[in-house]
Amino acid sequence: MTPDPLNRLVAQLAKLPGIGEKTAQRLAFHILRAPGEYAAELSQAIREVKEKVHLCTRCFSLTDTELCGFCRDSKRDERTLCVVETFADLMALERTREFKGRYHVLHGVLSPLDGVGPEQLRIKELLERLGDGRVEELILATNPDVEGEATALYLTRLLKPMGLRVSRIAQGLPMGGDLEYADQATLAKALSARREL
Amino acid sequence: MERFADEALVLSTVDYGEADRLVTLLTREHGKLTAFAAGARKSKRRFAGALEPYMRLRVQLVETRGSTVRLDSADIVAGYYTARAELSLIARALYAVELCRELTREHEPHPELFALLEDYLRRLDAKEAGPTSLLAFELAALAHAGLMPRFDACALCGGPPGERPRFDQSHGGAVCEACSGRAREAVVVPTELLSGLRALQEGVRQPLSPELRARARGVLNVFISHHLGRRLKSVDFMAQVGLD
Repeated sequence: MTPDPLNRLVAQLAKLPGIGEKTAQRLAFHILRAPGEYAAELSQAIREVKEKVHLCTRCFSLTDTELCGFCRDSKRDERTLCVVETFADLMALERTREFKGRYHVLHGVLSPLDGVGPEQLRIKELLERLGDGRVEELILATNPDVEGEATALYLTRLLKPMGLRVSRIAQGLPMGGDLEYADQATLAKALSARREL
Repeated sequence: MERFADEALVLSTVDYGEADRLVTLLTREHGKLTAFAAGARKSKRRFAGALEPYMRLRVQLVETRGSTVRLDSADIVAGYYTARAELSLIARALYAVELCRELTREHEPHPELFALLEDYLRRLDAKEAGPTSLLAFELAALAHAGLMPRFDACALCGGPPGERPRFDQSHGGAVCEACSGRAREAVVVPTELLSGLRALQEGVRQPLSPELRARARGVLNVFISHHLGRRLKSVDFMAQVGLD
C-alpha cells in the first residue's frame, strides 16, 4: 500500500501537461529523496507564482510588480512597440536580443471559428496605450497562421488611420534551412515575400 | 486498415493532447471526415502549413476502427494565399468553411458541395467574389444540404408572396400576407429582397445593394440558426469587425 501523501503528490503531478503516471511517480520519488529544503522551496515557489504573479498594467505581460521589467526599463525604446499573442512569444523574441523596444501582449488571437472576437483580446488597452502619442511604430508579431494573419490585418485597419507605422514580422525560410526540405506553404510565402538585393 | 487518397479542403482544426491535431476535412469522394494528425503540432515538416483552414490538399488517409481516420500525409494543392492577405476575404472564407462543416455529416459524400466550396475559394482568391457572392454561395450550399429556402412563392399556400411578404424560417421561406397569421415568427421583408435572393438562387450574378445585403444577411442568419440549432460563430466575427 502506497502512503496517501505520496499518492496525492503523484496525482497532482500527473495533472501537469506532458506528465504521465509513470513520470509523475518518478518525480514524486525524486522529491521524496531530495533534502527537506528542496521540497519546501518547491512548494513555496509554486505558492508564490500563484499569489504574486499577475499581468502588467501597461503591457499585460507577466510581472510581480505593478509594471513589468520591460515597461520599467528606461533604456528600452518606447517609440517601438511589438504586439505578441502570448507571454511565451514575448520571451521567444527576447531571446533574440535584437528587439529593444517595448511589448504589448494580446492574450490570444482573433479566431472566427472559435468565436473569439476583438473584445476578448487586449486590443482596447492597446489603443488606450497609444493615446499618449509616444509610440511611432508597431511591429505585429502574431503567428503566421490564418488567425494570426486575421489579427494582424484587423490591427492594421485600426492603427493605420492613427498615422502610425505598422509592420509585420517577415515569413519564410528558417536560417540554416534547406530549400529541398522546406514545406510548400513556407516556400510559397518565401517566394511571394522575396526582397530585391 | 484500408489506406486511401482523396482531395480535401480543411474545414477546421483543433489541438489534441500534447502534440497532435484533429482536422476536419471535406473530401471530394468521402465527404466530411475527422482526421487524426499525429505529431502535427510538433513536427515542422510533416504537415507544416498544410493543416490551416481552407487549404486545398491531396491527402493520404487510413481508416481506423472508429469513425476518425488517420492522416498520413498532406500535400498542398492550393493555398489560396491571396485570400489570406485581406481581412474581409479571410472572414468570408472562414464563414464558408464553417457553414459547410455544420451542414454535413461525417462519411456522407457531398461531391457537389466540395466543388461548390472549391469554386468559391478559387474565386475569393482571384478577388472575383464580393459580399453578394457569399450570399449566393450560402444559398447554393443550403440547397445541396436540402435546406433551400423558398422565395418565389408562399411556403404555406404556394401562392405568390404578394406586395407585403414575410419571411418565416420555421416554414422555410416567404409567407404571403394572408397566411402570416399562421406564421407567428414571420417578419415583414421587402419584395426586392425576395426577388434578389431568388435571382441569386437561379444563378444570376447581380450584386445586391448594401441595404439589401444587410437584410439578406439577417434573414439567412435566422434561417441557418433555426435549422442548425445554433448560430455560426464566424457570423458574429464578421459583425464584430464590420464586414459582410
